[in-house]
Amino acid sequence: MKPSVFSRMADEEDETGFDEELEDGSGGVDVGHGKRKRLFSKELRCMMYGFGDDQNPYTESVDILEDLVIEFITEMTHKAMSIGRQGRVQVEDIVFLIRKDPRKFARVKDLLTMNEELKRARKAFDEANYGS
Amino acid sequence: MADPARIKTEDTPERTTSATEEHPKSEEPATVAAAEKPADENKESSSQDQPKQEVKLDSVAGEDEEGGTSGQPPSKRLKVEPEKKKEKRHKVDEDEIQKMQVLVSSFSEEQLNRYEMYRRSAFPKAAIKRLIQSITGSSVSQNVVIAMSGISKVFAGEIVEEALDVCEKWGDTPPLQPKHMREAVRRLKSRDQIPNTKYKNILFP
Repeated sequence: MKPSVFSRMADEEDETGFDEELEDGSGGVDVGHGKRKRLFSKELRCMMYGFGDDQNPYTESVDILEDLVIEFITEMTHKAMSIGRQGRVQVEDIVFLIRKDPRKFARVKDLLTMNEELKRARKAFDEANYGS
Repeated sequence: MADPARIKTEDTPERTTSATEEHPKSEEPATVAAAEKPADENKESSSQDQPKQEVKLDSVAGEDEEGGTSGQPPSKRLKVEPEKKKEKRHKVDEDEIQKMQVLVSSFSEEQLNRYEMYRRSAFPKAAIKRLIQSITGSSVSQNVVIAMSGISKVFAGEIVEEALDVCEKWGDTPPLQPKHMREAVRRLKSRDQIPNTKYKNILFP
């Protein structure tokens, strides 16, 4: 096991020792999710391009990012389960956990507001159809 | 509750001074900042708007824009203000929409591609729902899935942006390499932007 997780950060020889790190799982960032099938490979590639990376990002970078995202979701879910109504994940819990991060908070607010508007619009549309 | 609006506008100048190709990168905070901008303008204009301010920021799926018309305003004092605020917000929204249109119309083809990828890419809702349900063991509502995939996308964006900063600083070129990603994670961790409840800080092992 790696003695110090954070001493590898500026390593230039990362590329050669790289494959071994993959089996350990994302070299030092987290404990690694091992042989799980890749859930988000395609979407993450498009996302990385959209955020400024090259049009063909490295597969290893995509893997690292996927592990990070899954770890993030797992942490948030665990935290959300421990606050508010125990054992359940509710939107209010997520919003509470996110409150200190301005970007994420604003994004969640926008998404949920837009979702409500869309639901209302769809309902009005359906009712209009039903009436005529 | 902390005030996202105030914090957000401090964030934006840092983002917009980044490299030229990063147009899509600087748009995202700009869009987010603009949504918060009406909140900010109101705050600076009069302190009387302050209680309204908190209400607006608190309501997640708010119906506050209907305040003066179809909904029942909680008090008469608030009757006049929703309209004023709605006007201001609409004007800012229209300004922002116009600016976005001007910007997007002047994109090169590569920038258009990138912007389209930026807007359209998203995590598959089914996979996220499966993941969350496998952790909780019980079912979750659709809003939770929507919120979680939205936050995850922002999270991925933060990491990629930081990794691009690292890459530029080290004199490398994209595509990003794992060492950039790891350094980005290390920096974000020191800023507490990455949640971690696994390891307790043992000072003297």
